[in-house]
Amino acid sequence: MVAAEVLTLEAAITGAVAAGTIYLLAATGEVLTERSGILNLGLEGIMLMGAAASFIFTLSFGHLAGIVASMVVGALMALLLVFFVVTLRLNQVVTGLALTMFGTGLSGFIGAPEVRRSIVKMLNPSVPEEIVLLNQAPRLPDAPIPVLKDLPIVGKAFFSHNLIVYASLIFAVLLWVLLFRTKWGLSIRSVGENPAMADALGVNVYRIRYLSTMIGGALGGLSGAYLFLGYQPFWVEQITRGRGFIALALVILAAWSPLRAILVAYLFGGIEAFQYRVPLLGLGAQTPQFVLMLPYAVTILTLVILSFSKVRRRIGAPAALGLPYSREE
Amino acid sequence: MEDTKEKQPLVEMIGIVKRFPGVVANDEVNFTLMPGEVHALLGENGAGKTTLMNILYGLYRPDRGTIKIMGRPVTINSPSKAIKLGIGMVHQNFRLIPTHTVAENVILNAPNVGFFIDWQKIHEELRQQIAKYGWRISPESRVWQLSAGEKQQVEILKLLYRGSRILIFDEPTSVLTPQESKMLFTTMRKMAEEGKGVVLITHKLDEALSVSDRITVMRKGRVVLVKPTSMTNRDELALAMIGRQEGASLQPQPGPRTDRPVLSVINLFVEGDKEELAVKGASLDVHRGEILGIAGVSGNGQVELAEAIARVRKVKSGKILLDGKDVTSFTPRQMYENGVAYIPPEGARTGVVSELTVLENAILKSYRYSPISNKLLIRWKEAAKLAGMLIERYQVVAPSINAKVKTLSGGNIQRLVLARELLGNMLTKPKLIIAVYPTSGLDIGAAEYVRANLTSMRNEGAGILLISEDLDELLRMSDRIAVMYEGRVVGIFDGYRASKEEIGMLMARGVG
Amino acid sequence: MPLKLKIHNYYIVFEKRYETGILYKVLVTIIAVIASFIIAGLIFLMLGFSPLEIYKMIINTFTSVGLMHETLLRSTPIILAALGLSIAFKMNFWNIGAEGQLYMGAFAATGVVLLHVYYGMISPDLLLLVMLLASFIAGSAWCLFPAFLKTRLGANEIITTLMMNYIAILFVNYLIFGPWRDPQGYGFPFSVNFPPYARPSLPFMSVGTLMLTWSLVTASLVFSMLKYTIPGFEIRVVGQNLEAAKYAGMNISSTIMLGSLLSGGLSGIAGMVTVTTLIGRLTPDVSPGYGYMAIIVAYLAGLNPLLIIPAGILFGGLLTAGDAMQYALSMPKTGAQILQALIFLFTLLGEFVKRYGVTVVRSGGKDGRS
Repeated sequence: MVAAEVLTLEAAITGAVAAGTIYLLAATGEVLTERSGILNLGLEGIMLMGAAASFIFTLSFGHLAGIVASMVVGALMALLLVFFVVTLRLNQVVTGLALTMFGTGLSGFIGAPEVRRSIVKMLNPSVPEEIVLLNQAPRLPDAPIPVLKDLPIVGKAFFSHNLIVYASLIFAVLLWVLLFRTKWGLSIRSVGENPAMADALGVNVYRIRYLSTMIGGALGGLSGAYLFLGYQPFWVEQITRGRGFIALALVILAAWSPLRAILVAYLFGGIEAFQYRVPLLGLGAQTPQFVLMLPYAVTILTLVILSFSKVRRRIGAPAALGLPYSREE
Repeated sequence: MEDTKEKQPLVEMIGIVKRFPGVVANDEVNFTLMPGEVHALLGENGAGKTTLMNILYGLYRPDRGTIKIMGRPVTINSPSKAIKLGIGMVHQNFRLIPTHTVAENVILNAPNVGFFIDWQKIHEELRQQIAKYGWRISPESRVWQLSAGEKQQVEILKLLYRGSRILIFDEPTSVLTPQESKMLFTTMRKMAEEGKGVVLITHKLDEALSVSDRITVMRKGRVVLVKPTSMTNRDELALAMIGRQEGASLQPQPGPRTDRPVLSVINLFVEGDKEELAVKGASLDVHRGEILGIAGVSGNGQVELAEAIARVRKVKSGKILLDGKDVTSFTPRQMYENGVAYIPPEGARTGVVSELTVLENAILKSYRYSPISNKLLIRWKEAAKLAGMLIERYQVVAPSINAKVKTLSGGNIQRLVLARELLGNMLTKPKLIIAVYPTSGLDIGAAEYVRANLTSMRNEGAGILLISEDLDELLRMSDRIAVMYEGRVVGIFDGYRASKEEIGMLMARGVG
Repeated sequence: MPLKLKIHNYYIVFEKRYETGILYKVLVTIIAVIASFIIAGLIFLMLGFSPLEIYKMIINTFTSVGLMHETLLRSTPIILAALGLSIAFKMNFWNIGAEGQLYMGAFAATGVVLLHVYYGMISPDLLLLVMLLASFIAGSAWCLFPAFLKTRLGANEIITTLMMNYIAILFVNYLIFGPWRDPQGYGFPFSVNFPPYARPSLPFMSVGTLMLTWSLVTASLVFSMLKYTIPGFEIRVVGQNLEAAKYAGMNISSTIMLGSLLSGGLSGIAGMVTVTTLIGRLTPDVSPGYGYMAIIVAYLAGLNPLLIIPAGILFGGLLTAGDAMQYALSMPKTGAQILQALIFLFTLLGEFVKRYGVTVVRSGGKDGRS
């Protein structure tokens, strides 16, 4: 029976990984950003713009263009944030929110059929109109890894996804290596903990914050692209539904470690995947909304649990997170 | 043959002049540092020693003068340049990242570290260096777990790792226990033996005598004496530092001390910010009409004790009695209502809200009580009257009571805080005043004003608990002086007869 | 450290100033709004719309009496929520949850109406009053929970209030698609229509004017509370300097809880206003984001309750214009959102300029100010 198939462990893990990648990409980028001391509340807006950009550029030029565009857009938006926050020393929370609102509005705008059509026409007039006006784009193809894909359970669950899923894991691991095993990583972490001291030792605080935030933004944009191209290629306004903010909470839950972020992202991916399977179980058919509330409620729960644990004192946020740095102060 | 050649100085500072608005910090100062020597730069606070070394470290540019390193004239316009020249400074406030390990702190942005960090190798290197000096720290420990002395060792490691040949220590023993200070001096001698040059900035005579090879004494921006340590003595140095024999200090006028203790602290235990015990069984009383000063090296629990008595910090165990009443679990508001005034340390930061106006700050504590308010509403007219009175009586210079406090100078902010605490209690006159570093950061005029006010409150019958880093201030003002060491009161002196040396010894060692 | 820009022979210097004049601040705000309009116009131009048409429609919105009425209705929930936010933000409590609190207020108000319509409870005369109370309480509760989590457990209120938004919207969704769906509604996800006495109105003035009056009254109350009451004073101190508040003997937890109660409650009332004056029943799209617009409006007004009114009317007008633009120019409704977000961004830029006074200096000058 269909329901039974879908409920196998294999299906569960596959779903968790597929959904979790959205969170993983966004969280990895944000870990880097926050490790340098910047809080990017614009992540939700960046993801939305990434999704919208990937939609439009994929329609115009294909998947690769869509992916690249999403990362460029993400980096540019993050550049705006870091300029306001580091150079102009404006409040990080409010600036991030403004950026999210801007991203939300702009993505909804350019994703809407009429506007979408005119943009695609500008970029690549040869694309047939019917394609443009469809509210979807061709899905990213799966890229199963030979040999590994035939392993029982794990084969389907881990090794038969599209390329971005693999890339997300690689990024997370690379970030871990960068942060904890390289010179640059030590400098980045020091900037996030104590920019004054890092500055006194000759570390370029401004450059590190700019780069970390922009790379974080690029990954956020990529997360949006993956969400649309690789997970759910039907365009709706606000396609991210708050996942960007959940990703911010995930960074806290992962204690700012990229490896733990993998676990936490897949956990939440699992919750999301579970949501869609619940109706098939016959539960909650009458009340799907309560099931949809799960990720949000679980996020609040994790913050509560986090505050209880003594662990919090040892695994704390980068000490200078959210605080502006100025040499004279 | 090489031995007889004159050793070239590591550092030569020639004719250094540095002016700040209103004061000449360095006035034609000459200073040399030879390799293999520990050179003490001795002088009272404000003599210009730190300024001189800050110039060497690239934090300031001299107005005139030359600096030569190993015979070559150089311009040092930033600490990074100084580090490149092999000059390193260990400051009083540690520049360390508490959550990172010792190793992470030491190698941050050091030039000789490769892109990929081989932690094994670095830990091993550091362990060797640590063993060489006979220290006990481990490269993998987190800095927040270390004691002050150990943190200082990390700072030293940082400098050594970057190849510093010239190490400047700015008042290093101010946060150390006596054992740690001894350890530090041993380290300094070892460094000198290795051919490095060590500068010790200090105002403590005995330190200079015990560890250095040469001493330069500065007073009021000038160099007044340069001698090999073996050829000088305490008296000569003291005379050079102060300009007169260290003799009798000013005594306070006896006050109307009564036999009634207004404050009794009994076996108090208080936790500090990091969950360790800062006060470990302190007991004392303060009587009406007396000033009890508390002396001690900073960090021995004085501030936490004062905060506990003012009830802005929780008490772990023990009792606090106010006029015999047990107030150990009172809230700060209740203390206020019972006539306790509290002048917090860093009044400009914690005692006022800088974005609010003078008017609003004037009623920061009295806003709940009549006539400033009635039940729910604040009566700003009454508040304005109070604010006007405060700034008039305490001569607070402010454009208007509606000016934001952040526009006032530090001295005026402190005056406002004092005025509010001493005069602004709408219910009763304060019977107990807890003053923590009340004159810190103030110019001489403002500081004298504060002292005069506290003394007159004492003369009117209040009991005052005065915590100060300035032993001279304590000696001038206190009827009795208690010494705190490692969270306990280890001795109480008669304020009229105590000597600085006796108190100093107790402060430094905990035993007379 | 001053920031310098060189333009031809002149330097424009931004230097941190202690105090900048009110006139300067107002001027900067106005310039920010104008600049955002210009940039928005450019974006729309690039995407194939005529900025001039857009500007004309926006101006039209504020000059036509009929549209003004619509604007006033739309502005009210934004203003009320923004007033609530001004209290929270003054306390340094980042209440991003105004949207959810608004939804809960709408839910509560609707619940009262349904109790009356289906079960005959509550007399028609008292209905509006009970709805008002219920929506206030519901909104308060929705904000008190994150406040509790923050004061007791230190849980970050930005995330908790935000999550509560999604939960509230889903909850209302559930009610609308489920038990509260109008049985006579042909299956559409709407509640039953509210009876006329459940919708605020006075015989001698239009609903728009009534709502404007209501906004003015509320703004004055909030302003007075902050300036003249003890809790208002405590809120301001807690928001500025936590240590000083402790030293002053203030109970920080209870201050934050009180502020949250008021903040959430006002957003709750905004929800009631939305559902009674604008729609007339509960629907899944109660709010096009009033709670988020309120954040921008509060910021634009510098957290000053009295200035929130004109700022809120501006945003209400933008929404009305947005609708008109959608019909007339087939521009997606999100266009208004872009403009609002740009106003937000430029207001922030304005913050920087306000904090740092501007001077123009001729370069090559002999004064030591290189």
